[in-house]
Amino acid sequence: MSIGAVSSQTTNDAADVILFALHFPCGILLSRDLSQSHVNMAATVCNEDFTNLQLLLKAPSKDAVREVCVQSQRGLSQRLTESTAATLGISEAQAAQLVQSLHALSHYVLFYNLSSPEQILAIFPESFHSSLKNLITKILLENSATWRTEALSNQISLPQLKDLDWRVDMVTSSDSVSRMSVPTCLVQLKMVDPCSSADSESVSSVTVELSRESLDTILDGLGRIRDQLSVVAGK
Amino acid sequence: MQLHFTKDVLPDSVGTDFQNLNKLNEQQFHRLIEILFQFLLEPKETERFMQQLTEFAGEHGMSAGPLRNLMKSVLLVPQGALKKNLTGEQIKEDLLTLGLSEEKSAHFSLQWAEHYAALTRLAVGQTLMVNQLVDMEWKFGVTVGTSEIQKLGTVFLQLKLVVRKGNSTENVYMELTLPQFYNFLHEMERAKASMECFS
Repeated sequence: MSIGAVSSQTTNDAADVILFALHFPCGILLSRDLSQSHVNMAATVCNEDFTNLQLLLKAPSKDAVREVCVQSQRGLSQRLTESTAATLGISEAQAAQLVQSLHALSHYVLFYNLSSPEQILAIFPESFHSSLKNLITKILLENSATWRTEALSNQISLPQLKDLDWRVDMVTSSDSVSRMSVPTCLVQLKMVDPCSSADSESVSSVTVELSRESLDTILDGLGRIRDQLSVVAGK
Repeated sequence: MQLHFTKDVLPDSVGTDFQNLNKLNEQQFHRLIEILFQFLLEPKETERFMQQLTEFAGEHGMSAGPLRNLMKSVLLVPQGALKKNLTGEQIKEDLLTLGLSEEKSAHFSLQWAEHYAALTRLAVGQTLMVNQLVDMEWKFGVTVGTSEIQKLGTVFLQLKLVVRKGNSTENVYMELTLPQFYNFLHEMERAKASMECFS
């Protein structure tokens, strides 16, 4: 096992990846849990995956191949398995494996940000069907940008600020002073928690009251952030 | 009795208390008023106020209990005057009406005028604030990678707002993208401009 050769590399050079893929068995068990969409902990594509990918040769058209590739990026689902099995005339078990292998491949390409045809073609083994290889590569390149944007918007994060509203009031009287003229600011912040399940995005909101001093302090802090940002951007 | 600082009918004891004040000499009266205003400027220091009165009582051969009750009556005047935004002149009139000597009323009114700005600031500061923002902490940096994308370089900004809710505080955490940050900054600047328009 060429462990030494791989572990000393810090680049994701395609040649080393093939070495890695061929010399290590697929140690990571793909989960059979149909509800889990991110099945791979490590981004690897192994021999078994490429065998599964050749099932795509049974597809009736290039568009059918494209459809399966794009759908499988989101992960395994019963519906997808069924439709893939029907389209390709294969068993559901085979369809499930194909989808998982496609997912592993697209996940790999996305993770290492492979953006040129040469980089992607290099992942495939020599014996892989040439035209299918070219077609899959083309489909992956077409969709990379969209998948990347999607991954970025789905990444874990604290609740995100979605909306901001404010109003300025003039306080003219209170129980402690009958006549005054003091401005105060109310700010409503609406936040969305992206980590909650996609169906029910929880929107929470908080309304805070700021005195003039507080607002000045906030602006001071925000100004410092802006200054630091322009220093970073200038580099 | 027509008074500026209150519309309520005062108990008789108040009149008696003010007459007792007249019995103090100039030095004693000044010291007592000093203690009074110290308390008005720092209303949370009740223990200190009580202690100073007890000391004063001891020094001048008075009983502490009656002195405390007397001061409670005296406190009614500045507290009412603050709520009604009274001038030094109006306070002096009220003290005279209550039976305080001309000399002592003048002194009190002088002290009132001196401390008026600080006292009103304090009263305004005690005005109800809903969900007051107590503190804001922030950090920003770069997301270098995720489980889906190995190499990234996107900027993130995280804010923690500390909000007063009743007697306790609540922390609110959120994240902003760069465009959201610039929008936040822009909106806060507009809010500030609006506030300055009206001051």
